[in-house]
Amino acid sequence: MKRTPTVGEILQAKGVSRRGFLKYCATTASILALPPTMIPRIAEAIESARRPSVIWLSFQECTGCTESLTRSATPTVEGLIFDAISLDYHHTLQAAAGDQAEAARHAAMEENNGDYLVLVDGSIPLANPGFSTIAGISNVDMLRETVAGAKAVVAIGSCAAFGGIPGADPNPTGAVAVSELVTDKPVMNVPGCPPIPIVMTAVLAHFLTFGELPALDKHGRPLAFYGTTIHDRCYRRPFYEQGRFAETFDDEGAKAGWCLYKLGCKGPITYNACATTKWNSGTSFPIEAGHPCLGCSEPDFWDKGGFYEPLSTGNFDSGAKLAGAAAVGAALGAVAATAGRRRQAKYTKEG
Amino acid sequence: MTTVDGRHAIDREAERLAYKPPEIRHDTQGDMSTEDRVEKAMHHFVKNFNTQTASYLDGCLHCGMCADACHFHVRTDDPRYTPIWKLELFKQAYKREAGPFAFFYRLFGFKKKVTIDQLEEWQHLLYDSCTVCGRCSLVCPMGIDIAGLVSMARHGMFKAGLIPHELHEVAKRAAETGSPLGITPDKFEDRIEWMADEHEVEIPVDAEQADVLAVMSSIEIQKYPQSIAATAKILNAAGEKWTFRLDGFEATNFGMLSGNPEWQKEATMKLINAAIKIGAKLIVLPECGHAYMALRWMGANMLGKPLPFKVLHISEYLSEALDQGKIKVNAVDTSVTYHDPCQVSRRGGATEAARNVLKHLGVDFREMEYGGDYNWCCGGGGGVVTITRADPLRRRVFKLKMDQVEKTEADELLSSCANCRQSFDDSQEYFNWDYKMGSLMEMVAENLEEDGS
Amino acid sequence: MDLLEFARGPALQWAAYILVAGTIWRIFGIVLLKEKADFSEPRARGGLGAALKVIYTRSFTANPFKKATLYPKMLAYVQHLGLFAVVLLFVPHIMFFEGFLGFSWPGLPNSVIYVLGVAAVAASIALLVRRLTSPVLKLISNFDDYFSWFVTVLPLVTGLLIPVRPGFIRYEDLLAIHILSVAVLMVWFPFGKLGHAFLVFITRGTTGMVFERRGAKT
Repeated sequence: MKRTPTVGEILQAKGVSRRGFLKYCATTASILALPPTMIPRIAEAIESARRPSVIWLSFQECTGCTESLTRSATPTVEGLIFDAISLDYHHTLQAAAGDQAEAARHAAMEENNGDYLVLVDGSIPLANPGFSTIAGISNVDMLRETVAGAKAVVAIGSCAAFGGIPGADPNPTGAVAVSELVTDKPVMNVPGCPPIPIVMTAVLAHFLTFGELPALDKHGRPLAFYGTTIHDRCYRRPFYEQGRFAETFDDEGAKAGWCLYKLGCKGPITYNACATTKWNSGTSFPIEAGHPCLGCSEPDFWDKGGFYEPLSTGNFDSGAKLAGAAAVGAALGAVAATAGRRRQAKYTKEG
Repeated sequence: MTTVDGRHAIDREAERLAYKPPEIRHDTQGDMSTEDRVEKAMHHFVKNFNTQTASYLDGCLHCGMCADACHFHVRTDDPRYTPIWKLELFKQAYKREAGPFAFFYRLFGFKKKVTIDQLEEWQHLLYDSCTVCGRCSLVCPMGIDIAGLVSMARHGMFKAGLIPHELHEVAKRAAETGSPLGITPDKFEDRIEWMADEHEVEIPVDAEQADVLAVMSSIEIQKYPQSIAATAKILNAAGEKWTFRLDGFEATNFGMLSGNPEWQKEATMKLINAAIKIGAKLIVLPECGHAYMALRWMGANMLGKPLPFKVLHISEYLSEALDQGKIKVNAVDTSVTYHDPCQVSRRGGATEAARNVLKHLGVDFREMEYGGDYNWCCGGGGGVVTITRADPLRRRVFKLKMDQVEKTEADELLSSCANCRQSFDDSQEYFNWDYKMGSLMEMVAENLEEDGS
Repeated sequence: MDLLEFARGPALQWAAYILVAGTIWRIFGIVLLKEKADFSEPRARGGLGAALKVIYTRSFTANPFKKATLYPKMLAYVQHLGLFAVVLLFVPHIMFFEGFLGFSWPGLPNSVIYVLGVAAVAASIALLVRRLTSPVLKLISNFDDYFSWFVTVLPLVTGLLIPVRPGFIRYEDLLAIHILSVAVLMVWFPFGKLGHAFLVFITRGTTGMVFERRGAKT
């Protein structure tokens, strides 16, 4: 009987040194906020893990999430870990097509019943199942069918996690998040448009090590990555405290790298690890590149007012309604004064 | 409303200094039911709520700073003497009956109805422990004229028959006889004759036509009759065509002090009518603080139109006459400190007049610490000096005044208010104090340069 | 709709309606009562000039009262100036106002605002302690005084917690609570004693007109 190689064996075969591997485990432990004593356990778990079966479902999405995960400039350990898992179904990446592809999905589900992971990117349209189908199967049906035997579900990207751009007002397709449909399995959200690659693999490492999903916040996001705001970790934060703000994208403040709050930065209310892990192998992140944070890892980020509106702007109606309120107040005041005068007149008569 | 209840008889013959007040004494006048009293009080509180009073009653911050300005609180540390607290019932009535949110205050009972017990307690606060001196009005960060409100709140108390007996008696006598001390026109005439003889001065009475109508305070006529002569000397020296009128001589207004607007108007109208009758261009008010408030600032409002003559307090008249050279005075070699009558100076705006007169007299004038507009009240204004039961409190408060005066180390103490003078004399006697209050007008009269010299 | 959106949207909007309506209600309810005409011969000019003069001069304490009222006055100055600075000179607040006013003004560095905010809170606490211990204030205080204190201090405290970022609460929840506390303040503002912010112009102004006209001390 052919023995499935362990992740450790695969990594060795690919030329990853023991030293490099342990370094990755240490990084994973640290970003997952685990104590250093956990590093050997993570290493052992990953090394000895049988390639876990993963089924990746893509619904109403733009493939940006997949791009993010695969477009690493150089092969990284996390990329290789990704290689190490048994990605049994991913219609963008897999060679198989049509019936073969679907057959692969069914085979994986049967073989690993109760143990496999389902990763989803994209939202699911409910207004009309025909809006998005794969192999003639509507997204919602495919999700339900696939999730039935899964151990856990990971919603990758803001569309799968929160409905994302397809779910933005007026939401013509009736797009919903995975968590709205899957209620009987553990669901973890890894939002972002797209999410950060290492977040994915760290979560997988956690899953391999402990057999369960890491601690989540109220939006179902792993706390290790979504526990602090961009603003809290932003290297431009001192400028905020000093009250030094870029007013336009080309003024002296912008050139000097001052805080982008006034240009609509959503950093203060956005929970993500961009400011620490950064993108493109730690090269940069949007604020460093001079653009305010859009808050893409937050629910409904598309509908939360203008990207370039400062956070503290209230959502006010125009003065017309306030004028109406003033008129109502004037009327009430007049009524009150009249009542007071009447009472005076009455009392004067009564003496 | 004129009958006095039998609970607390007034012994008019008793020696003033021998009086021992009962612990608690709530006086009532008339035989109204409790409900009627409360209703009357409410009605006559509410009548006063105009734009000005409403903003004042709505604006209070409860910062309590008025307590630091009030002599009654400063001397006793009794929080109930916090000026704005004296208006609590008035405020309660306003919030319930006429404020912008009165409907809700009644609906949810945010402010309870005023009760008879409260009214009785507040009798002490609105009368015995407030001289309407207005010092609190100057400290208020909201600029609320607290003293003015006290005067208005007294309207409700009076109509409900809930004021101190003594004040009621005095006010009633004023309404019935024309003078709080029972000085009838005949008695006044007697006194004038006496003074004219004693001081050898011509005193015109009841002239048909005159430019100046001089009026007196009953306190002067009764206790300081030399004021009559002094007034005459000055007006004669100034060459005025002037007169006293027996149909309008009483300048005090106990209707105002006790809180009865009708009596207040009656008293004021007597003066106004007398002045109009003789075609007077000027009424010279005597040395009396509240008379100034009653006629100078409230008189025209009683008439309902501007007065057809001018009104001057005697200190203002003297100041003008000296400036114009109508009268001249010899220099007086003494040091003087001056006690400002609250209603003339702080609340009346004539603070500088007395100082100008003193300058003409050439005395060594020593202003009290924070004198003038921020002067401590004598403690007897606003009718308080009539209230026998308030004597211990009034005298206690007077200590502030004593300190203020003593610090100046002036030879003489002058004022221009017979009511202040009466309070000073009483306390002076009680404490055996060195300072004897004198009269500014009398000092001028005594030092007039003889004609032509 | 999450809490922050509720706070920034409907909550703030309705609070603004109530603030405007309530303020005008109270002002109209007062100024539309009968006016008292004054026929006395004026000694000096009253009118608007006198009103403006006293609105200004009553901001300061007259000498005779300085000693007695020094402590509460100082606290009140710190509290009021702190509040003004925090509300009007904190840059994110200026941006908030700019959002519907359409213009802005220079602000102060956040660190300065934090100091002023803490000072305002400290002064408020000291004033509350005074209210709870002074016999005078204990006697004359009522629900309005304590509740008004609470709704004034709450936005200050919640606002100051935002940069501190305590671990038990998330930024946007804290921000939402801060904005909601401001909404509560706005709703209560016209009805309780906080109305002194606009009534002060009427009370001081009236006194100015009456007493300046008499030539008396204001």
